[in-house]
Amino acid sequence: MLEQYKKEYSQSVNQYIVVDLDGNILESDNVIFPDVVGKNLSDIHPFFESVHSALLEPNKRHIFSCIHLTNPENQTIITDIIVKTFDGKQPPLVAILDLTTHYDNYQTTAQVRNESVINSQILELKNEYLQEKEAFKNAFIANFSHELRDPLTGILTFSDILKKTHLNDEQLNYLRVIDSSSTYLKQLIEDILDISKIEAGKLDLVISPFNIKQLLEDIQSVFAIKAQQKGLELITNFNDNLPEIVGGDALRLRQVLSNLLENAIKFTEEGTVTFNASLNQIRAQKASIHFQVKDTGIGIPEDKLEDIFTSFTQLNNSQAYKGAGLGLAIAKHLVSLTHSRISVDSTVGEGSTFSTNINFILDKNQVLKSKKKDVLTPPKSNRKFSILLVEDSEITQLSILKILASRGNYFLDIVTKGEDVIPRIENSEFDLILMDIKLPNSYGDEITKLIRKMPEREHKKIPVIALTARVMKDDLKRYKKAGINDVIQKPFDENTLVSKIEEYLK
Amino acid sequence: MKISKKIVLIGHFGVGKSSLIRRFVENTFTEDYKVTIGVHILKKEVTLPKSNDDITLVIWDLEGNDDITNTRPSYLIGTNGFLYVFDMTRPATYQSLENDLDYIKDRYPNIPLKIIGNKKDLVTNDFIKQNKDVFGRFVDFYTSAKSGTNVDDVFTNLAEAVIKEAKK
Ligand SMILES: Nc1nc2c(ncn2[C@@H]2O[C@H](COP(=O)(O)OP(=O)(O)OP(=O)(O)O)[C@@H](O)[C@H]2O)c(=O)[nH]1
Ligand SMILES: [Mg+2]
Repeated sequence: MLEQYKKEYSQSVNQYIVVDLDGNILESDNVIFPDVVGKNLSDIHPFFESVHSALLEPNKRHIFSCIHLTNPENQTIITDIIVKTFDGKQPPLVAILDLTTHYDNYQTTAQVRNESVINSQILELKNEYLQEKEAFKNAFIANFSHELRDPLTGILTFSDILKKTHLNDEQLNYLRVIDSSSTYLKQLIEDILDISKIEAGKLDLVISPFNIKQLLEDIQSVFAIKAQQKGLELITNFNDNLPEIVGGDALRLRQVLSNLLENAIKFTEEGTVTFNASLNQIRAQKASIHFQVKDTGIGIPEDKLEDIFTSFTQLNNSQAYKGAGLGLAIAKHLVSLTHSRISVDSTVGEGSTFSTNINFILDKNQVLKSKKKDVLTPPKSNRKFSILLVEDSEITQLSILKILASRGNYFLDIVTKGEDVIPRIENSEFDLILMDIKLPNSYGDEITKLIRKMPEREHKKIPVIALTARVMKDDLKRYKKAGINDVIQKPFDENTLVSKIEEYLK
Repeated sequence: MKISKKIVLIGHFGVGKSSLIRRFVENTFTEDYKVTIGVHILKKEVTLPKSNDDITLVIWDLEGNDDITNTRPSYLIGTNGFLYVFDMTRPATYQSLENDLDYIKDRYPNIPLKIIGNKKDLVTNDFIKQNKDVFGRFVDFYTSAKSGTNVDDVFTNLAEAVIKEAKK
């Protein structure tokens, strides 16, 4: 019975072929390739052309797996092929085993596996590429902005100095244009630097006590004028329940609110800009304060609400609204550092409302440090101070020289090369050193390290103030470690420079 | 008499071995990736430009492998020439280039071998320059199966080397 079933149901899928040593077919069944007796193996498929050599070695058994052949119906079949040779005159045997079904399944698996491996490799590559590009961009922006600061410091200082000379009205008007253009340029550079710091994750809040009511009033007076200049009205509502002294980053809060107000005024042609602030609640020594800036401007289409917080996005690309569009992006990031967010509500043609809730520390015991006066105090004594300036940029040299000369109680000595610093200190008595960080062939922080190792006490104790545009967190740490006492950020103005210097000359 | 020579293409999967052969034999290209399992064998006759020799290339298109030591030895019996192909857009496919080449040269010292950086259409000349030390110093041909760049040259150049080796 079994034999009968086998004959009926088992279909042989293997073909057995007997060949001579040249591959001529002596005997064969007809399971896959019929009528091949008398032909050569190479007539069946080019595969066999390459196995001739295998026929010549006696007593061997070669298995070739997963070989694609084409059957007489022109279909692809996938086979294992066994070539067995014997001793002496016994002719070789070639067996072709059709395993198409088996290998088809394998094909499917291999396809899935390879595709997923390749996709992940391409993804990896993309990520690597993007990260490199991003890092390059950030470095580029940081360096580029840095390069812009020196000449800008020069322009700002000298237009200040120029203002104090005898100018006629026409000249004064020109100077105002130079002034406002360079102030605007300075703002742009600062925004770009902020963005690059934010994107590099290097911007941190500095928390200290400040008078928030005072700050809001300051902002109000600045923007009331700006609104008025555009024919708009600035309405402010600062609720009485606001605390006076809070702990937070005053500088960044001012930046966020200014950016929101700037934006509101920019996109409003007529009507009002409303600026509200009120206390939400006080909990666990934290005050949550609600800020709202509302305008009657052009509004934002709903599908664009997300985009407005992206760097370099401006919905209205027309020339009428100048600016790089960084303000809102910066505001959003700064607010997110306080674990809060800015929400927008807007109707096209009617206006937009930006609001946010920000937490401040409320500590009754914290005393507000006395605010430093902006006005320069006259020199305390008649003593003259000797200052060493280490700086290679001629513009910066000139600016500082001008500023200090106008004060009348400073001697300024200048070196431009790092290697000249130590010998100069050894041979003179300086009260303070102003140190540029990026010098040709050396770095100010490295030089400071050397100063701090000098043998004479009066040399190694000289206060060093860095002059630099590089004030990222890592930089500041490095300066401190090198023994630098303080940092003046470029571009600086007369006030900052003189008050910083005086702080260290007691 | 017609001479027939066995050429084997090896390299990681997806680098374009089948595509190079398809371009050479049929002068076509497809973006679709169909994984090769086992081996496909194709034939193409060429006339060598220099010697005017007619030669039949029996081209073995092997399945890709990320580890050359897993290549089935039976596929390599009677090989007359190797093409080692990698994909310039995927570092994984040329990371072990030097080792792989040593592996082949060790086992098949006298068999001509050409090294191919494929998918040239996807990379810039700058990229190739930058990678001179990574893969550039090994490469014989930069090809694109997609555009056809250098594809015929690869095969004729290898065929010439094979004939030269046979005449030794
Ligand atoms: N752009 C471009 N794509 C290519 C080129 N060569 C191959 N490809 C693509 O790369 C993928 C893989 O090509 P295949 O020729 O199948 O690669 P393979 O080396 O035979 O892969 P395995 O058989 O798995 O070892 C396919 O999607 C092709 O379209 C090329 O020169 N340029
Ligand atoms: Mg393939």
